[in-house]
Amino acid sequence: MLRTALLLPVLGLMAGAAGAAPVTVVTSFPKDMTDPFKAAFEAAQSDHTLEIVNRNTNAGVSFLQETRGSNTTDIFWASAPDAFEVLKNDGLLAPIEPNREGIPDEIGGYPMNDPEGHYFGFAASGYGIMYNTRYIEANDLPVPAEWEDLMAPEMNGHVAMSSPSRSGTTHLTVETVLQGDGWDEGWAKWKWIAGNMNTVTERSFGVPEAVNSGAAGYGIVIDFFGLSSKATGFPVELVYPSVTAIVPANVGMVANAPNPEGAAAFVDFVLSPEGQQVLLEPAIMRLPVNEAVYADAPEGFPNPFAEDFAPDAIAFDVDKSGARYNLVNSLFDVMITYRLNELREAVAAVQAAEAAHPEGANPQAQALIDEARALIEATPITEEQAADPAFAGVFTIVRDAEDVEVVGRQAEVERDWDAAVVANYARARELADQAAALN
Amino acid sequence: MTVTTVSIRPRLPRLSRPSALAVIGILIAAFLMMFLILPVIQVIYVAFLDPRSGALTLDNFSDFFASPLFRESFWNSLYVAAMSVVFATLIALPLAYLTTRFDFAGSAVIQSLGIIPLIMPPFVGAVAMQLLFGRNGTVNLLLNDWFGFKIPFMEGLNGVIFVESIHYFPFILINLSASLRNIDRSMEEAAQNLGASGMRLFRRIVFPLAMPGYIAGAALVFIKVFDDLGTPLMLNVKAMLAPQAYMRITGVGINDPMGYVISFILIAFSVLSLWLSFLVMRGRDYATVQKGGGGLARRQLSPWERVAAWVVILVILGLVLAPHIGLMLLSFGTIWSFSPLPDAFTLKHYGTVFSQAGQYITNTLLYAGGAALIDILIGTAVAYIVLRTGLPGRRWLDYLSTAALAVPGVVLGIGYLRMFHGVHLPGVGPLASWWVMIMIALAIRRLPYALRACMAALQQVSLSLEEAAENLGASKARSIRRIVVPLMTGGILAGFVTSFATAAVELSATIMLVSGERDAPLSYGIYLFMQSPSGRGAGAALGIIAVIIVALATYISQRVIERDSHLRGARPTGSH
Amino acid sequence: MNEQSVGIRIEDLHLSFGDTKVLTGIDMEIRAGEFFAFLGPSGSGKSTLLRAIAGFGPAPRGRILIGGRDVAGLPPWKRDVGMVFQSYALWPHLSVRRNVAFGLEERRVPRRQIGPKVEAALDLVGLLPLADRMPSQLSGGQQQRVALARTVAIEPKVLLLDEPLSNLDAGLRVQTRRELLALQRKLGLTTIFVTHDQEEANTTSDRMAVLDAGVIQQIGTPQALYDRPVNRFVARFLGTANILQGEGTREGFRLPGGATLALTAPPGPRDIVLRPQAIRIGPVEPASRDRLPGVVRHREFLGSQVRYFVDAADTQLVVDTLHIATRPMLEPGAAVSLAVDPEAVVVLEESGGRAPI
Repeated sequence: MLRTALLLPVLGLMAGAAGAAPVTVVTSFPKDMTDPFKAAFEAAQSDHTLEIVNRNTNAGVSFLQETRGSNTTDIFWASAPDAFEVLKNDGLLAPIEPNREGIPDEIGGYPMNDPEGHYFGFAASGYGIMYNTRYIEANDLPVPAEWEDLMAPEMNGHVAMSSPSRSGTTHLTVETVLQGDGWDEGWAKWKWIAGNMNTVTERSFGVPEAVNSGAAGYGIVIDFFGLSSKATGFPVELVYPSVTAIVPANVGMVANAPNPEGAAAFVDFVLSPEGQQVLLEPAIMRLPVNEAVYADAPEGFPNPFAEDFAPDAIAFDVDKSGARYNLVNSLFDVMITYRLNELREAVAAVQAAEAAHPEGANPQAQALIDEARALIEATPITEEQAADPAFAGVFTIVRDAEDVEVVGRQAEVERDWDAAVVANYARARELADQAAALN
Repeated sequence: MTVTTVSIRPRLPRLSRPSALAVIGILIAAFLMMFLILPVIQVIYVAFLDPRSGALTLDNFSDFFASPLFRESFWNSLYVAAMSVVFATLIALPLAYLTTRFDFAGSAVIQSLGIIPLIMPPFVGAVAMQLLFGRNGTVNLLLNDWFGFKIPFMEGLNGVIFVESIHYFPFILINLSASLRNIDRSMEEAAQNLGASGMRLFRRIVFPLAMPGYIAGAALVFIKVFDDLGTPLMLNVKAMLAPQAYMRITGVGINDPMGYVISFILIAFSVLSLWLSFLVMRGRDYATVQKGGGGLARRQLSPWERVAAWVVILVILGLVLAPHIGLMLLSFGTIWSFSPLPDAFTLKHYGTVFSQAGQYITNTLLYAGGAALIDILIGTAVAYIVLRTGLPGRRWLDYLSTAALAVPGVVLGIGYLRMFHGVHLPGVGPLASWWVMIMIALAIRRLPYALRACMAALQQVSLSLEEAAENLGASKARSIRRIVVPLMTGGILAGFVTSFATAAVELSATIMLVSGERDAPLSYGIYLFMQSPSGRGAGAALGIIAVIIVALATYISQRVIERDSHLRGARPTGSH
Repeated sequence: MNEQSVGIRIEDLHLSFGDTKVLTGIDMEIRAGEFFAFLGPSGSGKSTLLRAIAGFGPAPRGRILIGGRDVAGLPPWKRDVGMVFQSYALWPHLSVRRNVAFGLEERRVPRRQIGPKVEAALDLVGLLPLADRMPSQLSGGQQQRVALARTVAIEPKVLLLDEPLSNLDAGLRVQTRRELLALQRKLGLTTIFVTHDQEEANTTSDRMAVLDAGVIQQIGTPQALYDRPVNRFVARFLGTANILQGEGTREGFRLPGGATLALTAPPGPRDIVLRPQAIRIGPVEPASRDRLPGVVRHREFLGSQVRYFVDAADTQLVVDTLHIATRPMLEPGAAVSLAVDPEAVVVLEESGGRAPI
């Protein structure tokens, strides 16, 4: 009895192996998205089956790195182009040439494909703010339009966001603002927004979950989280701020894939009009990269090819982003994720002081407030330092450039930042409290 | 027999036929080395490497202790673990007291529902708790409507303590109840005779005598909470050790040895707590039941007392089963957002998972069942070798098996990937992605529970019963098979149930090892569903299915154990 | 220690475990300062009765008066009786000293007095030097004495001992029971001692009650019970007894097989008890009144005595004779004549010899 129970799966395994060779896909996409694709792909290509392995983007990258010695994965399929950039640099992606008819090389200024053919954008995503309509109604809060709206004092405690080190898409959001507003302005904006946050979630999906359940009012998310939540019936809406980046979700073949033929077939399928059509399903709601598919899109579906879509979209600099990828993550975590309480207290103190002295009515208080704001906004390193390979090298895994001298261990650097940040926040809070106490 | 108040220990050492047992012992040791010690070393040795030169160094540790964030995380973890023990005790103590001291129907309720909190699939539990106790959860929305204030149940460290206590208190409940039941009635009567009663009696005599069980349970809670990753992550608390380790190990492209340093510290600290609890309990084996039976006297409750006891039980159970209640609502609810209850109810989610649940259920039963089977085989063998033979190094088998308690699941999972991915088996492919490895990982993770149950069971089988069999001509092997193991059945089954029930909902090691949906168990299926807005209800439905399966399996085994202990009760298994 | 010892009176006590009657119609009076034994086989209800006096077990029906006060409704901790448990029940987590101090602490004895009282109690049992040991470090006999010290330390009105010697080995048992008796005399405590061993009961107690099947069979001094048992059970339980069924007649007491003993017994079927030492065994003589012919079947050499099993009067009788080195022993198969001293015969009042239930 027991023996048969143990044998059955083994037999099943062998039976599976005897039929069509499966295409093994490591993906961060949810079941809601992978299931329709699997069904459509297997219907279109009867000699291939799809085997989905779900891991979040970072774990997926780690997985491919850990298992590179004997790779079992054919396809890596995820949103964040940065993750593909990391894999490509590690030599973990194989270049291919799929059929890309009808797909432009660029959407909204963002390149859709890796010029060397290691990965391809198959869906576009913008970043936006999703909000819970019941929540903002109950708390009498405004409907947001721009990132700046999340900095307003009345938003305090109502915003949620994921950490860029945990979520590739969030990283892009952070980097988009840093590139759009500039290093110092960008970080300042993030800190004022973060001061209003009630949580920094560990998974990117934690944000839509918080907004859907009403734990948070506003969430900074990639668009399809908002769109599919709304399609599922949650009382949520999504808005695109004018500064956003259109970023592709990508697919690429893993180097040394066990089933390269099937892998290529899958990439072809995803980029084909039938594959693009699948993106319009309510549970997926991602923006196809083939303009022709929008003809079948439901009403109100955002169209990145339209003129009025995200007018201030920036030209995203992939190289710049890639060079400081880990540094930005680390900086965000040190300044915001790990010190959220300290930051929140400082921001709340400044907001209280400003409420007590509106519009610089009291110059003495205003001076204190300005000083406090400067302390909160201060960043431990400048953009130039961040671009210095000696510095960024502290945070990279690959020692490809042996000649690059690095300035210390990551833990040491982070410790210094942490000390500076904690001191700044504490001082800012003190100053703001002093300002509030003035009459 | 000479009745003394110390427990009856077998006369050790006694080497009758060591060779076969020695071989088994060595095989088990090899198995544990292969699947526990070496994989863990694979992971934590990184803590001692310079990330750039690859040379051995202790710099990483000085970095750890020099960093205020890490020091804070360390203290937070300690604080949360200690406070969780306190709150878990507050929950478990009244329940244990009521079940062991009074004759009333609530005891059965506690016994069957008391273990349920342990079988809560990760992710869903926290989601359900957020919906009930979160800042805009049911309770707070109602409080706000009625009284205009909210209670931050789920915020920060307090939230972690809240959730952890509710999840892990059964460890204390189970161990404490067992200890209480093992106290001889005369211990209590002697105190009453000398004038003690009520709470004083409990505080001065009964509880101290149950202390070994309490400490065992409390140490387990402490370690589990200290190592636990899921709860702080779900509550977005990051300034604790386990989340710091996880975030640093799994971040993209980060070659930060801190994650490994923290893993090492987590393991070292857990081993230390285990060792301390061993030290505290040594020489305090107070199991005092004499002549087979006569545990504490149970008293009938007066009607008013019964009402009060039911109120206490229902309040506590309502609290500890909140995750399950929330999960149930979620699985039947349509949209549940910023409202005390879901907008409407539906069966749709069960329809969604119905088509796919079969494969998850089969896999879960296979993995958890196989793991539990491995556990009781090893557990019985180790218990026998440790308690009944004089094999050199036998204690180390016990320590090795118990050491798995101290290893976070993620560390074990990464260790397996590192160690076994390069190993190819013909017809299987890389060893690390073979489903059997999931089973082995689960078996290793749950071995300590099964081992403790087997040890306890063997301790209750008098050595003379085995000697009688040998005297009548049974070989060592046959007397073990025909006398010892049958008499241990109840305990072995209890070990099986604990291993099975907890393995069935385990995710942390599994998530690293599952190589495809085909091989995925229920917990992984739930994780998949919970990654999308429309999958929340379906994931909850799958969670409910998981809880029901495990509860059913537990219930059936419980019945078997009860029947078995009735049979045993009719037989003189005592020690005179 | 205790000058004002009190008596115990039990009136019409009944006790059941669920549907099983364990004690039925217990009536007895134990005098102040008396050393009283409950004797009976296991399952006779003697321990249950003792526990009922201490307040343990299911609530009985009836009255238990200690020093005139009915304690039946009181919880154990309000009864002021000291009990020594069969297993001693020393708390393993407390030292000897703390074990003994426990009862005093519970009684809110002022701290200053506890130390001296504990030491006095330990001194009484000769264990003062071991005061700071843990119970697990003591031998069985020492544990027993600690249990005793712990109980007498609270100066109870009565002392209950539940088979206190059963866990000791034979030599220690004899010594301990003497010490126990000496201690009881010294303290003057009313003491109840539960045992299944008639020798223990005989050697220690002033009076005893024999229990069987939850009923008191007989109460009296050890000698009275041995010499004048009221029924078969008591006769058999206290020493060896030949019990013969016969019939009282005008001529005397007719035994099965025809012989008639010269003793006066009420007419009708009766049981008589013959102790083995009350029968004289000798060579065959002409049958006469008071003499029974018999055949030796089996012989046991007991040292001071020789015990013969003799077929006579349609049954087998046990006959003890003093062993004298020069006198040859009878061999199995020898025909003998048994002489019975009529004065040593006890005629049982109840025919059939069964105790009423």
